[in-house]
Amino acid sequence: MTTSAISTAALTRSFGAHQALSDLTLDVPQGEVFGLLGHNGAGKTTTVNLLTTLLEPTAGDAMINGHSVKTDAAGVRQSIGYLPENVQFYDNLTLLENLRFFARLSGLRRPDARIRDVLTFLDFTGHDNQRVGTFSKGMRQRVGIAQAVLHAPAVLFLDEPTSGLDPEGVRTLRETIVRLNHEFGMTIFMNTHLLSEVTKTCTSIGILNHGRLVHHDSMSNTLAAFPADESLEDIYFQLDSAAV
Amino acid sequence: MNSTWIVAEKELLDLRRGRLFAILIGFLAVATLISVAAASADFRNQLDAYNLYVANLATSGSTVAAAAPQLFPLKLLRGGVEYLEILGALFAIVLGYGTIAKEKHRGTLHLFLSRPVGRFAFAGGKVLGLSIVWLGVVAALTAVSLVAVVTIGHAPIQGIDVARLLIAGGFAWLYLVFWTALAVGLTALSTRLSTGLIVALVIWLAFVLIIPQIGDTMDPDNQVPGGLFATLQIQKPDELAVLAQFSAFDGIRNGLEASSVTKHFERLTFAFLGIKDQYNQQPLSLMWAAMLPYAITLTAATLAAVVFAALATTRRTLQRKQS
Repeated sequence: MTTSAISTAALTRSFGAHQALSDLTLDVPQGEVFGLLGHNGAGKTTTVNLLTTLLEPTAGDAMINGHSVKTDAAGVRQSIGYLPENVQFYDNLTLLENLRFFARLSGLRRPDARIRDVLTFLDFTGHDNQRVGTFSKGMRQRVGIAQAVLHAPAVLFLDEPTSGLDPEGVRTLRETIVRLNHEFGMTIFMNTHLLSEVTKTCTSIGILNHGRLVHHDSMSNTLAAFPADESLEDIYFQLDSAAV
Repeated sequence: MNSTWIVAEKELLDLRRGRLFAILIGFLAVATLISVAAASADFRNQLDAYNLYVANLATSGSTVAAAAPQLFPLKLLRGGVEYLEILGALFAIVLGYGTIAKEKHRGTLHLFLSRPVGRFAFAGGKVLGLSIVWLGVVAALTAVSLVAVVTIGHAPIQGIDVARLLIAGGFAWLYLVFWTALAVGLTALSTRLSTGLIVALVIWLAFVLIIPQIGDTMDPDNQVPGGLFATLQIQKPDELAVLAQFSAFDGIRNGLEASSVTKHFERLTFAFLGIKDQYNQQPLSLMWAAMLPYAITLTAATLAAVVFAALATTRRTLQRKQS
C-alpha cells in the first residue's frame, strides 16, 4: 500500500475578496512525480507556497510527509526541498559558500562531503570556488536543485523549474528530476507551463483553473481517456475549457 | 550551529565582498581621516608656534613664563564625530535596507523561509551581522584617528584619553546599530521595497538634519560666531540669569533637541571627548553623572530599534509582506 507524501483537504487561500485557491483536495502518493498545470493566475504558485509553509491557508489543511502545514510547519520544513521560480542566490558568494549556507540552515553540521556528493550527482563539479554571480541561468538552476536536495528531503517542490532555460538546460533538468525520483524515490511536485515536459517527466497531473482543481489523475489514465492522436496540449485545453 | 549565527556569518561574507559596502565604508573612512588629519595638523601648528614663542623668549633672555595654550587633543575628533553623526547614520540605513531588500529581490527569502529555522533567526542574524560590521568600522576609525592625532598632531595622549575615546566609540556603535536596525525593520515591513528606504530616509532627514538644526538655530550661543554671551563678554552667572528669563524658549529648544537620537549621540560624544568646553579635563565620574540620561536614552533607543527589527522580521511578518 502506498502512503501519501502530499495530502490536502479542502485547502483554501484567499487574498482579500479574491480566492486564489478553493477547496483543493489532492493526494500525491510517495515516489510520484506530480505536475500541476494551469494558466497564469490559476493558483499554482499559491498552492506550492501553501504546501511549503510560505503561506498560511485560510481554510483546510495539508499533510506533507505526515506533517500538517497548519500545526507542524517545522516538521514540514524538515521534510521538503524547494526551488522557487527565478531564484538568484548570493552573487558574491561562491557555489560552495552558497550551498554551505543552505545546508547548515537545514541542520547539516559538516556539509562539505554531502555537497560534493550532490554536485557529483548533478554532474556539476569544478565550479566550487566560482562566484554564483558569474553563473549562467542553467548553472544557477543546478545550484537551485543542489540546495533543495542537500538534506535529502522526502518531497521536492519545484516552481516553474524550466522557466527561462534553453533547450539543453530543460533536458538536463528533466533528466535530473527523473533520476532523483528513480534513484532516491523522492516525491516531486512541480508547477510548469511546459506540457511537453510534463509528458516526459510526470507520473500524475493535476489541472487548476481559477483556483479549482478540475482534473487529477495519473498521466497514463489521462492520456488513455482521449483519442491516441491527441497531444497533451489538446487534452489540457479540453479539460481546462470544460471546467469554465 | 545556531541558525542566527549562520545568517550573521553569511551576511559578513556577503558584505565584505560587496562593492557598495566597500564604497560606503571607504568614503566614510576617507572623510573622517581627512577631517581628523586636518585638525591634527592645525593642532601641531599651534603647538609648534607656542614652542617657538617659548624658545624666542628664552633666547631673548626673558624670564616671563609664557601661558600655555589650552589644547585638548580629543577635540580634534570633532569632524569625525560629525561625519558619523550624519553620513554614518545614512550609510547604516543604506546597509540595513540593502540586507533585507536583496533577500526579497533575489528570491532567497523564500528559500530561507522554507528552511527549519527559528522565528527570530533571520532578523537576529541580519542585525548581529551588521552590528559586527559597525563594531569593526568604529574600532578601525577610532584606531586610525588616534594614530593620526598622535603622529600628525604630535598630541600627548594619556590613558584617560584612550578611555574617553573608547566610551565615545561605544556610543558611536550604539548609534549606528540604531539606524541599521531601524532600516532593517522598516524594509521588512514594506511590501514595496522602496517604501522602507523612503520612510527610513524621511526619519533620518527629520531627526539627523532638521530637528538638530532647528535646535542649533534657536541656541543663543549660535547666533554669532564664538557665542552670543562670550562675544558680549557676559559672565556665566549673568548668562544663566538672562537665560532664566527665557526658560520656556530654552525648554522648547532643549525639548526639540532631546527628541533627536542624533543630538543624544552628539551630546554624549562631545562631552566625553571634551569637544564641549565645559567637560574638558573633567573626571569621568562627573561626566557620567551629567550624561547618564543621554546614555540611557541612546541605549534604550537602540534596544527598541533592535526589538522592532526582530518583530518586523519574523517569519509571519515576512510571509505576509511577501504575499
